[in-house]
Amino acid sequence: MKLQVFVVAGSLFLPVSFAAAQGVNDAQIASIVVTANQVDIDAGNLAKSKAKNEEVKKFAQTMVTDHTGVNKSATDLVTKLKVTPQDNETSQSLKSGGEKNVAALKGLKGAAFDKAYIDHEVAYHQQVLDAVDKTLIPSASNAELKALLVKVRPAFVAHLEHAKTLQASLGK
Amino acid sequence: MTRLTIACGSLVCAVVAGAMLSSSMRPRAAAVPEAPVTHTVAIDGTQFQPADVAIKPGDSVTWVNRDPFPHTATAGAGAFDSKEIAPGASWTFTAKARGDLAYTCTLHPTMKGTVHVQ
Repeated sequence: MKLQVFVVAGSLFLPVSFAAAQGVNDAQIASIVVTANQVDIDAGNLAKSKAKNEEVKKFAQTMVTDHTGVNKSATDLVTKLKVTPQDNETSQSLKSGGEKNVAALKGLKGAAFDKAYIDHEVAYHQQVLDAVDKTLIPSASNAELKALLVKVRPAFVAHLEHAKTLQASLGK
Repeated sequence: MTRLTIACGSLVCAVVAGAMLSSSMRPRAAAVPEAPVTHTVAIDGTQFQPADVAIKPGDSVTWVNRDPFPHTATAGAGAFDSKEIAPGASWTFTAKARGDLAYTCTLHPTMKGTVHVQ
């Protein structure tokens, strides 16, 4: 029951904040990208140690590795562009949503943990993907920043599909 | 002169060119086997590009990882397995036998490709 409440809350959280993010500037986009990746790295690090299912553990490791790699690319680019990531409503909301997720996951174990982690990964990647498509890519003004978002977008799609496959297998 | 013969390609060209050459420089009559070719598959945007490559036995395929995180190129039945290819790194497979080798990235199961060895 606790899980269901959390998932509903989680899915309400993000679209509202992303809707408010229309017209974000590059410094804000940089902050959103770095935060969005870090939130998934934090959840992945927890799942690597707590997950019961081996496939879930491997998925968690992939999330940590991939989002760390994307963040390195993003950080390298903003350093090169001399852009200082600017904290904003969306990045703050992502951060607090991520902290709530990790706190909720810490209270679970075994199969319940696996299900809650994967359910959140499905919802989270869908929401981040929506933000990438509706807000971040259209708003990015620097061509290299826009190109980076376009380049990493398919990874988020792959993660979403992978998470959905795991979600279906855990449900059996 | 040899280059000209190859460029002509046709038997007529070869005969004409051959007649112009001294006997010691005459091209061999037997078909020369084609040299092995290395084909490149870019791993970019969490996709194999191109997803399908057609090669001949003896040819190689080199996967170049242009993403900021690792990938694998792993075929079924142990035909080939790159293990993790780090960002910026590459891995090469040389095909021996004919066959269609479907492969995936074990880290990203949505990524699919096929090496057609024809």
